[in-house]
Amino acid sequence: MAAFKHFQNMYDISLKPRLLRSLIRDHLPDEKHPFPRPSELSIVVSAIKTHGLLFESCREPVDPKQVDNWKTAIDAWVERLLLLASSKMPDKCWAGICLLGLTCQDCSSDRFLASYSVWFQKLVAQIQPPSASHFVKVASCASLADLFTRLGGFSNLKKDGTSHAGKLIQPILELLSDDSSEAVWEGAVDLLRSILIYFPASVHRHYDTVEAIIVSRIMSEKCSATISKKFVYCLALLPKSKGDEVSWSLMMQKILISINAHLDDAFQGLEEETKSNEVIRHLVPPGKEPPPPLGGQPMSGEASNQATKASEQFILHRVSLLVCSCCTMLTNPYTIQVTIPVRPLLALVRRVLMVDGSLSQALLPFFTVIQQESICSDLPLLHLCTLDLLTAIIKGVRSQLLPHAADVVRLLTEYFRRCALPALRIKVYSIMRVLLISMGVGMALYLAQEVTNNAIIDLDFIAYGWGRASYNPNSKATTEALHQPSHRKRKHSTITASFQVQQSGVGREVETVKNKQVTPIAVQIAALQALEALLTVGGALRSESWRSNLDLLLITVATNAYDGEWANEEKGISVLSFEPNCTWAEFQLAALRALLASFLSPSRVRPRYLSDGLELFRRGKQEIGTKLAEFCAHALLALEVLIHPRSLPLVDISSRSQGEFVSSFDHRLPENLFSVSQKNNNCTFPGDILVMDDPELDDDLYSSWLGNGEETDVPMSVPDKQLRSAQELCGKDVWQATGDCLAEKILSDSTGALFLMEGDGGATGAAHMEIGGNGNVIMTESEQVQEIVRNNDVEAQDKDIVISTGSFTLIEGKPKKGKAESNRIYASKVATTISSFSVVNGMDSSDPVAAAATAKSTPAQGGLITTLISEKGRGLSLEYNTDASMDSFPDIVDGDPDSD
Amino acid sequence: MEVVIASSPVDAGIGCWDLHSGAEQLRYRSCTSTPHGLACVGQRFLASSQLRDSSSSSGSILYWSWSKPQVEVKSFPAEPIHPLVSNSDGMYIIGGGSSGAIYFWEVASGRLLKRWHAHYRAVTCLFLSDDESLLVSGAEDGCIRVWSLFMVFDDIGMEMAKNPYEYSFSEHTLRVTDMVSGYGGCNAIIVSASEDRTCKVWSLSRGKLLRSIDFPSIIEAVALDPGEHVFYAGARDGKIYIASINAETTSSNSYGKHIIGTLSDNSKGVTCLAFSKDGILLVSGSEDGTIRVWDAKTHNIVRIYRLAKGPVNNVLVVRRPLYSNRQTSENSHSSFSRRHAPLLPPPLGKYVNSTDENVDSGAVSVPQTPSSDIMDAPYLSYHVLTKQISELQQQSSAATGMEVDRLNLDCKRSVEIVQKWKEMFAYLHKFCVDELLGNDQTQTQ
Repeated sequence: MAAFKHFQNMYDISLKPRLLRSLIRDHLPDEKHPFPRPSELSIVVSAIKTHGLLFESCREPVDPKQVDNWKTAIDAWVERLLLLASSKMPDKCWAGICLLGLTCQDCSSDRFLASYSVWFQKLVAQIQPPSASHFVKVASCASLADLFTRLGGFSNLKKDGTSHAGKLIQPILELLSDDSSEAVWEGAVDLLRSILIYFPASVHRHYDTVEAIIVSRIMSEKCSATISKKFVYCLALLPKSKGDEVSWSLMMQKILISINAHLDDAFQGLEEETKSNEVIRHLVPPGKEPPPPLGGQPMSGEASNQATKASEQFILHRVSLLVCSCCTMLTNPYTIQVTIPVRPLLALVRRVLMVDGSLSQALLPFFTVIQQESICSDLPLLHLCTLDLLTAIIKGVRSQLLPHAADVVRLLTEYFRRCALPALRIKVYSIMRVLLISMGVGMALYLAQEVTNNAIIDLDFIAYGWGRASYNPNSKATTEALHQPSHRKRKHSTITASFQVQQSGVGREVETVKNKQVTPIAVQIAALQALEALLTVGGALRSESWRSNLDLLLITVATNAYDGEWANEEKGISVLSFEPNCTWAEFQLAALRALLASFLSPSRVRPRYLSDGLELFRRGKQEIGTKLAEFCAHALLALEVLIHPRSLPLVDISSRSQGEFVSSFDHRLPENLFSVSQKNNNCTFPGDILVMDDPELDDDLYSSWLGNGEETDVPMSVPDKQLRSAQELCGKDVWQATGDCLAEKILSDSTGALFLMEGDGGATGAAHMEIGGNGNVIMTESEQVQEIVRNNDVEAQDKDIVISTGSFTLIEGKPKKGKAESNRIYASKVATTISSFSVVNGMDSSDPVAAAATAKSTPAQGGLITTLISEKGRGLSLEYNTDASMDSFPDIVDGDPDSD
Repeated sequence: MEVVIASSPVDAGIGCWDLHSGAEQLRYRSCTSTPHGLACVGQRFLASSQLRDSSSSSGSILYWSWSKPQVEVKSFPAEPIHPLVSNSDGMYIIGGGSSGAIYFWEVASGRLLKRWHAHYRAVTCLFLSDDESLLVSGAEDGCIRVWSLFMVFDDIGMEMAKNPYEYSFSEHTLRVTDMVSGYGGCNAIIVSASEDRTCKVWSLSRGKLLRSIDFPSIIEAVALDPGEHVFYAGARDGKIYIASINAETTSSNSYGKHIIGTLSDNSKGVTCLAFSKDGILLVSGSEDGTIRVWDAKTHNIVRIYRLAKGPVNNVLVVRRPLYSNRQTSENSHSSFSRRHAPLLPPPLGKYVNSTDENVDSGAVSVPQTPSSDIMDAPYLSYHVLTKQISELQQQSSAATGMEVDRLNLDCKRSVEIVQKWKEMFAYLHKFCVDELLGNDQTQTQ
């Protein structure tokens, strides 16, 4: 390697072998060199990770010589690692093993396949007895786990992998049964898990032993929580090693029986005896032998009772672990179809959730306060994992929950009413969310009232208590208004309520307004999410009773959440500074999400707080770089469809051959203005503008125009129009009387254009009576109008526009003549008109052309312009009515397309 | 693979064609289906309710697996079943009986979970709303009812509620021939067709009639454009009318109000319609035994299949899983694929069991391929390594254990070296002494 053979850049492939070699040389120990400081090793690891030194492949094809170079470098690396791994010095050996694990993960497939069995042998040697250090054992377990993880990716090596893994089971079991340190257990159980996931068949022979050892570890009190969780996970995976339905069901049955037996011990005196039998009856059909106990040893009954009497709380801990295992079994995919025992599971859930630590009167004398205290202190944990189990059941049985759904909902709502601890409420909200999303409207009909009531209570503080309530004595009244009287039950649950204040632990109780409880932000977020789900799924059906309350609540919460941010910064130590900052951001996000759902959820009128909401989203979008901004951008996009509703045809009509569609086209054009905008490409035309119009007038105008076009009778509405035009004529006279210097010029244009421009209300500019004449006239005239407008300093005041669809009949009338071409020509004319009139409209702009361009480009203004045109159309029609020469009008209409 | 399946009331079997290539697949034998009586259950197998002569009191429902032409499972419900639907994951089959009762079966166990009296006359069509929590049924007397499946299973709630159904629409005067529902969960619209020559558009959320459209002929089938701009109505006069849903249209049209066009090739009456997944190909079945595939964009016929001499009364467009390919790809471990081969569930039960008996009623989990695990499998050694390095740096107990081991070994080796040096020294010492003594001896000599 020449000293001056420089690399192209840091991506150059020839850099990699060189780097690797220097790593080997400088940072790795060998036989002679002692082990460097451990930080050296992390340098090696990070260099390998960042540069991908072991990948042995690159994107673009390169010189094979360089590839060879790289290959030999990795060869050297592996050789060194193997040397280190077999070193007698524990630290060198450890380093070798760790790096070997990393190599398993990173190296190329070919290299892995070629040498994994050698590596396997090296690693196995380290977990077997003579190896001294725990440290080395843990490292080799991890490396082996990675080896199997990698091996699991090659589907053609299943058999080989299984036989390799089979050799490991015995050593693993020895590690697990040893009374060694937790770290070793953790390593061993991780390894076992990898094997169970990728090569489950290898455990088949040792099934019972593995089960026994895992169960004994779960039952022992020595393990920490995280390791226990891992054991539990392995237990749940164990049936995979046999892979049949029987072993899965048996495992489930055993676990459930074991849980039930534990609960018998724990709940003595807290419930009726029959509850236990109920679960058992579902589990073991009468007349059948109960299965052997979990783990092979007698767990229930006297033996376990005696063993665990000392630590009663530990029973509940075990139960929660076993429940956790159930959850894993339910939610993890299993290779074949199995029957989930829904009834016993639900019976178990019901049994646990029904116990709240209260004692029946008869049992009071037999129960000490200490006993009750210990039970009550652990019950929340148990409830929490039982709710997890319920979630897992819902996930596991999917649509088959249907026959049981009503029961579940009833159980849940009943529980919800009593439940007062934040963590539990969060869980219940999340279950309701899952139920709503998965089960749809039917579920929403059931849950709506419950979710709304609870959420209103939980969000009460943020909606009305927070900030304002501390100053504003009236806030209570508004709160009461929001509440429905029947929802205040929870406030009376005194014992649990005080508990909640303790639990919330944010130090807010100092400032608690009027003894109101403070709901932790996490609960509020959960409540908002539940509301969001409710609105998403069931906002339309039978929602009258709660919908308006909810919409009001959500806009209030969102507004307050947003105001809160600034208040928080100003005050310095406000109540919220006790919360971690991200949680507050999450709350804002949740509030805005729920708000969006409330807008988008179907309703019959425009959402009442839409513009407030839009403002919030716009402001939120300015919080650059936050999730909030991303969401607000999404919300604005979603709301755009709400404001411009679309019902898009499958085919673009303008591109169709006219002949076939022209008849239907005629009829659709006037009321479906969208097609107009499609043709013009000028502006997107919001459909609901039409709604604001007076439909009767339209119909009149429309039919009259149709009539005119076909040269039939005099329109019915003529007298009315004449009346109006007479008034205008009057006005015109007055205007003429002012003696403006430009009056003549205008009059020479044969319209009352400017008068109408200035005029109030409906009928404005008829400036374009020549609209159908020819393009030149339009241009010249519009220039005149500009001129006049400038000179006269006329304000385009008539913003309050009555939009007329009927005026479009003018446009409409032309294609009806059956001239396909005229259509397009006319459209272009309309465009011209728009541009010319936008000048009038956007008067403050100095450059009229630019103003026209911008007006055309922005859809909002485009809409306005179009409405202007429509007015002009009407103006035009009126103008002709004034002339009282009904004959002249059809002439013009007819003449238009032809003259072009 | 997206396939068109079609069946007929005369015994012509169930035809199956690849929608895109047009190649005919297996033909499933001996099926005389009722109108709306063909369903694909969770993409796993086909089920069809069978026509029976009026003398027989029990009905029959047959199953075919995708891979075999013969009937595999026969069930005999208590009465003839007309329409048949299944939910999307194939867990339930719902059938409408000739007495007006609706039957609700669990597919995996075959149990009849529920049977309730829904209509006074025979049920003619059924469908599930797109979140599958509402069931809509139409009957011979023109009545349409919307059921919440939750309510149906909630005995307590049922007693308290005023009506067992959510809505009952009785605006149709004659038999309801077909219904279809739009997008949007509870805010969806329903389009129904009836022998009274009208199609009616209903709002599910408001529970009221939005629009009624009169047609020149009796509409046998409706299909909804996925954009819900128009719907297609197959009529007995052989035309497929295109009617608009939203736009207000006036009456000056050759066909009638709201009707904006037709698809027609002068054939016999259209009996059934279905849309393909892409929302462009429209499949129609006709009384002359042919199935036409239309391009809804160009209004042209893309393809024609021939099923039978008699009329076609069901067409469906479904996705058919590619079992054959899967088996070849996984033949390395054949046991796995054998387990996955579609085994058909047991026949459907005749009566609702009493509740005491079904103690071990359980749900069936859907088998999932464990491949998803492999993707999120974490590699451990990196984390273990970093953890151990930090332990080493902090001199924790586990790390000191290794340190002690190392020091012990070092110590041992040093002791060995010391030993060697000692030996060496002793040797040297001896040598020197010998030398000195030797010299002395020579000097003294």
